[in-house]
Amino acid sequence: VTPSEGAAGCGRWSEMLESLLALGGLVLLRDSVEWEGRSFLKALIRKAALSGEQVRILGCEVSEEEFREGFDSDVNSRLVYHDLFRDPLNWSKTGEAPPGGPLGALRAMCKRTDPGPVTIAIDSLSWLLLRQPCTTVCQVLHALSHRTPCPGHSPAVEQVRVLGLLHEELHGPGPVGALSSLAQTKVTLGGTAGLDSAHIVFRRPRQRPIHQTQWFSVLPDFSLDLQEGPRLECQPHPDPYTSPVDPTTHLTFNLRLSKKEKEARDGLTLPFQFSSEKQQALLCPGQGQAASHIFYEPDAYDDLDQEDPDDDLDV
Amino acid sequence: MAAVATCGAGAGGTESMAAATSKSNVTSFQRRGPRARGTDSGGPRLVSIAGTRPSVRNGQLLVSTGLPALDQLLGGGLAVGTVLLVEEDKYSIYSPLLFKYFLAEGIINGHTLLVASAKEDPADILQELPAPLLDDSCKKEFDEDVCNKKPESDIKMKIAWRYQLSPKMEVGPVTSSRFGHYYDVSKRIPRELIETSKWHGFFLPEKMSSADKVECCSLTPGYMKLLHFIQNIIYEEGFDGSNPQKKQRNILRIGIQSLGLPLWGDDVCCSENCDSSHSLSKFLYILRGLLRTSLSACIITMPTHLIQNKAIIARVTNLSDTVVALESFVGSERETNPLYKDYHGLIHIRQIPRLNNLICDESDVKDLAFKLKRKLFTIEDKVLYK
Repeated sequence: VTPSEGAAGCGRWSEMLESLLALGGLVLLRDSVEWEGRSFLKALIRKAALSGEQVRILGCEVSEEEFREGFDSDVNSRLVYHDLFRDPLNWSKTGEAPPGGPLGALRAMCKRTDPGPVTIAIDSLSWLLLRQPCTTVCQVLHALSHRTPCPGHSPAVEQVRVLGLLHEELHGPGPVGALSSLAQTKVTLGGTAGLDSAHIVFRRPRQRPIHQTQWFSVLPDFSLDLQEGPRLECQPHPDPYTSPVDPTTHLTFNLRLSKKEKEARDGLTLPFQFSSEKQQALLCPGQGQAASHIFYEPDAYDDLDQEDPDDDLDV
Repeated sequence: MAAVATCGAGAGGTESMAAATSKSNVTSFQRRGPRARGTDSGGPRLVSIAGTRPSVRNGQLLVSTGLPALDQLLGGGLAVGTVLLVEEDKYSIYSPLLFKYFLAEGIINGHTLLVASAKEDPADILQELPAPLLDDSCKKEFDEDVCNKKPESDIKMKIAWRYQLSPKMEVGPVTSSRFGHYYDVSKRIPRELIETSKWHGFFLPEKMSSADKVECCSLTPGYMKLLHFIQNIIYEEGFDGSNPQKKQRNILRIGIQSLGLPLWGDDVCCSENCDSSHSLSKFLYILRGLLRTSLSACIITMPTHLIQNKAIIARVTNLSDTVVALESFVGSERETNPLYKDYHGLIHIRQIPRLNNLICDESDVKDLAFKLKRKLFTIEDKVLYK
């Protein structure tokens, strides 16, 4: 426990990481050049290791020494590191690298583990996506997160968490969208001047996704310190739907009717409504009502000759 | 009566003449069918399969989609031998519901089910089907909903009198609920119903071993396996008339979940110029051929929002018969728009097929929104039910 954490802060960051890890499945960490995600990934790994789980790491982008730097010895002892950085194509043929390349290594992780919750961290998914077809990567990740219980062990629900780091600037919208649809939790790292933020989307199956934004900073021992957002964030952006202008001013019709006017309006029969009174009026015209007249002013061009026009024909 | 004398020829002529003179004097022609006769043999029998009905417009055999409001929008139901494509909403919250309604309707009617998925185990999908609502209990549910709406809408309709004449959406249960049932989404279907029903599951990770990477005729291996599976079921169980069965004919309801995801091995969602760009189109074409020659109906949900190449979406729409798209408001700016506050999303009917017809059975109502209440999924006309 670092001295900067108060009791409340300690609870909050622990809770936040727990909620990230609790859902299981694939946790996708999207970072970019400005807001790097490896420290957040290491914070999650530390949290998982401290709660007694097995953590297996597929390291592709940095060396093992660099990755283990900053972790305490007890955290380090719980990490099982598969190094793909030193010799990705297995040229030295020492027999250490698992068969099948990096995906083979992942599949092996899928099968070999003992019962109990397991966290698999992939650093990084971008490295895999650039070397393997996206569909294969998705299939392996899906198999990892939904693996069936190993035969011989009790069919209890086995919590498998896959933490994947994705550098979203390296890929087009296709792979990022495909992996996002596969992920149960999606964390997008960003921030403003000096403060990091994580925008988290929890996708529970068949429920609406929950969005959350957390401001944090990562301490040297890879514990998280939750912060309040920067002051400038609370600008009320103009909401286009609740405009202060009253739309009922300057209308050409009357919205507020007096009681007498309302009664008069209700008593009105609409032109195309066929009520019984109208039916009577149509059937028996002239009963107390003036018959309708047509007034016509003859034009200069009108021929009012009443003779039969066919008389002119010699038929 | 000259007409009676001339129709004396043919077997049963005397019977029908007697019937004609005794019954009505409207017509002397008597229908030769099971109703006019009392005998079992002979005469063409009307084949009636449980859970189907002929369309009122052109006699096409229809099955219910499980959602009577959707049946009404599609012109009575889904035609047997056709594909219903549901374009998924962004977070795939509501499209699984339509999928499950379709399958649940199949179980209630005793149809055979075929469930295919690359994401979830079909057995798990079947466990989560909604429970059917029995007639008397659901009448109570609807009555309280209807009561809340009635008084205000009547007052407002006085000026907008034209809207009173437009057809109302069927929200409540119809009296004859043999076609189209109502389901309670908050409850699961009883296990006994699933166990007594006949279903086949296709879960892609189980069927594919990592060893076979054979690519034949540019169709993704996953799709190829699924097509073979469907073809086998249709042939073995006689849905295409190949095994003349003594027992009653039945419908095969096929449900394919999230077709086109990278989990199927197809990369339409991953890149714009994908290698297997024709795989999905070929799959749909062959599937439609299989369906047209058998007594089956198929629902496919597809995450079209992930497909990068818009031309493929257009091709997929053309290759399907009925296309319905769901657009949910979750995460979009419409979520906070007061116009849409009563609803959870919009439903668009993109295409309705013209089967043996020159025109299609479009409904006049175009502005449709859906809402998932605690127990029900309802589709409503946005304008009226405000």
